[in-house]
Amino acid sequence: MFSFILKRLLTAIPTLLILIIVSFILMHSAPGGPFTSERALPPQVEANINAKYGLDKPLHEQIFVYVKSIVLHFDFGPSFRYKDRSVNDLISDGFPVTLTYGSISALVAVLFGVTMGVIAALNHNTWKDYTALGFTFTAQVLPNFVMAPLLVLLFTLQLGWLPGGGWEGGKAQYIIMPVIALSTSYMATIARITRSSMLEVLNSNFIRTAKAKGLPYQRIVFKHALKPALLPVLSYMGPAMVGLITGSVIIDMYFSTGGIGVLFVNGALNRDYSTIMGITILVGTLTVLLNLVVDVLYAWIDPKIRY
Amino acid sequence: MKPFQKTLAAALVSSAIFMVGCSSDDDAAATSAAAPETKSGPTHPVTGETLAADQTFTYWALDEHSSLDPQIMEDTAGSDHARQLFEGLLSQDADGNLVPGVAETFTANADKTVYTFNLRKDAKWSNGDPVTANDFVYAWKRAVNPETASPYSWYMEIMNIVNGAEIIAGEAEVDSLGVKAVDDYTLEVTLTESLPYFPMMVNHSTVFPVHPATVEKFGAEWTKPENMVSNGAYKLTQHVVNERVEMVRNDQYWNNDATIIEKIVTIVVPDENQGLIRWKAGEFDRGPVPSGQFKSLKEEFGEQAVSAPRLCNYYYTFNVSDSGPEAFKDVRVRKALSYALDRSVITENILQAGQENAYTFTPSKTAGFTMPNVAYANMTQEERVAEAKKLLAEAGYGEGNPLKFSILYNTSEGHKQIATAMSQMWKSSLGVEATLNNMEWKTFLTERGEQNFELARGAWCGDYNEASTFLDLLRSQSGYNDGKYVNTEVDRLMDEAKTSADPNVQYTAIEQILADEMPVIPVYFYTTNFMLHDDVKGWPYNNIEQNWYARDLYKVAK
Repeated sequence: MFSFILKRLLTAIPTLLILIIVSFILMHSAPGGPFTSERALPPQVEANINAKYGLDKPLHEQIFVYVKSIVLHFDFGPSFRYKDRSVNDLISDGFPVTLTYGSISALVAVLFGVTMGVIAALNHNTWKDYTALGFTFTAQVLPNFVMAPLLVLLFTLQLGWLPGGGWEGGKAQYIIMPVIALSTSYMATIARITRSSMLEVLNSNFIRTAKAKGLPYQRIVFKHALKPALLPVLSYMGPAMVGLITGSVIIDMYFSTGGIGVLFVNGALNRDYSTIMGITILVGTLTVLLNLVVDVLYAWIDPKIRY
Repeated sequence: MKPFQKTLAAALVSSAIFMVGCSSDDDAAATSAAAPETKSGPTHPVTGETLAADQTFTYWALDEHSSLDPQIMEDTAGSDHARQLFEGLLSQDADGNLVPGVAETFTANADKTVYTFNLRKDAKWSNGDPVTANDFVYAWKRAVNPETASPYSWYMEIMNIVNGAEIIAGEAEVDSLGVKAVDDYTLEVTLTESLPYFPMMVNHSTVFPVHPATVEKFGAEWTKPENMVSNGAYKLTQHVVNERVEMVRNDQYWNNDATIIEKIVTIVVPDENQGLIRWKAGEFDRGPVPSGQFKSLKEEFGEQAVSAPRLCNYYYTFNVSDSGPEAFKDVRVRKALSYALDRSVITENILQAGQENAYTFTPSKTAGFTMPNVAYANMTQEERVAEAKKLLAEAGYGEGNPLKFSILYNTSEGHKQIATAMSQMWKSSLGVEATLNNMEWKTFLTERGEQNFELARGAWCGDYNEASTFLDLLRSQSGYNDGKYVNTEVDRLMDEAKTSADPNVQYTAIEQILADEMPVIPVYFYTTNFMLHDDVKGWPYNNIEQNWYARDLYKVAK
């Protein structure tokens, strides 16, 4: 197991390097640059700015300098858009925010999704099942960019219970709406995956054997059926976690939470090269790590899987 | 039960791996945002109105500013902050007139090439240091220094300060800039040639002073709240990128006694509709008017939906360079398209927020600018269309040979509506076939800047309240002249205006040339539209640059 993890971590290095090079080239080939503005800058002013940010060098040299300063100093460079800030600053400010509401959303999605899926499967073709199914369908036609404004209309404007946005260091009343908006559709997907895989497991031979042995029903469900039924949920959660964290642009936009989601999208629109690169590397690293975690958990849950 | 715990743990771990860094919710109930206090406070010293106990001004911003450094900032979000945090030599009152800032008075020599500013002795930085002429010298040299790489250094160039352009180009020493501190409280600026509107230009954030010791000590990080030293009515206390900026009054400010607003909070919400909901919920004092909603908001909220003229124009520019279509080199075609455009449809039916039809490039409300009597402004729309048909037929376009071209604009619902209306008007009145083409902002700027277009959208907001800030754009060598319109007479008149006793004569003459040659199609002049709760008083509605100063605002008790 240890050598497996080590091997995966080592292959992550060339993967990330390729990611950096490809993103760098794609980014620079987009029309316009960080300093393209309405009034074309006088040539000498533009030259001064390009020199300051190293944009006057050839592309391969820029990539080399960039990777070098990350490896040697863990320095992701100054932001081209937020000129008073370094990318390290921006990410260390924004990432904890995204991480907080992202992981709470994941937790909520898994807890409620799995519970709902299990209840639906155990009460197959009863009103409980139909209610859960109804919820999942509704939740999936309400993506977070529809949910977010609806929540604010309801809780802020109509009821006046919650502030319409902001973060304030992550106080509870600022987290509630982002978490609802972000977790609902994931919750629905998890509920559907759990329900169908649970139904499948409940119809399998070993469950029939357990029933024949006369084991208590609860014990069959929780001890024997749930564990294998959760494997598909687990494989879904790896990429979903990355999605929860990077797909948060809608949350940042509507709730002004100041996470990295809006930073990423603004970075692309503003051609803020260093910020796009920093977040790309962060997301790439997260993807590699979370996939590794999922694989390790797989082996832990399912004794048949060994690396 | 052990295996079950393991299973449950696995499910949780997969989601809880990143629970680290989750903040605690201390004082959860205490801070529901901006609940309006209705306790009555003291009264306003001049008007005698009862002031609200809570003097916090909270406003919505669409976008995060690029920088709080006066010499680096380049956007309106940044300069909105700069006017609270810093004070330049001169400032503005609610009507946009120049009033003393750090300089109490100024004088110019006979040929207006040397300006002497006499600074007040009681102006202080937020750390208690006096504001001296040297701080201005330091800041201005910093703005032109190639190492600073200020995106607004071109502004210093058009201020005509001696050696400004040479220093930016790296051809002269930074210290040779034509600005010097005669003593601590006397600043002398030498210009290469006179500039009638020079005093107006010293109210811009690029020429605001900075505290040299702070900038030297912290480098690029000097604008962080814990480091920043400023000389305006407010000082920075908090800044979270893409979330909020907070400032409180600066008790070292020379006129602090007259300040009423205690705290300014800026909240960034990159969605106008969301911003409006939160304004309605009372979270913001000032909120947005999403495009196309002004009329209904006005009906619902009355005077709280504000529309005030703004120093900006909206136009379409013909590509008259070699890469442009042959048809647009014919002045009759350009005129026909401009004439056939019914601007009222755009301002009254699409925008609906008090915008003004434009027949000149310079906005009608620009200070000192009298609208020239351009012929087509006075015709009825029927007369204009008839004239347009005639001109287009003369140019050889008609039913057998319809004029075809493409319209380029940057992606936005509002621009799309206008471009669609324009193409339909041309289609129905002239039989012209115009296709729409939109691009994301930076791609649009690149394509337009490289003359890869036929007819492209443009808009400009004045950097100062004088016609040259607009007309400069149509000079042959202007960096903004994307249509590559070249007219040496325009260039000559612009040069002449700089030393003219009444530059309006030249500006009017230029507008006449523009109306005759129609290198651009003026469409409308902007209004600024926003929602402002009626307990906020002192808003400078008449300041056409929409430069607002929180030190002039106050909130009355409801």
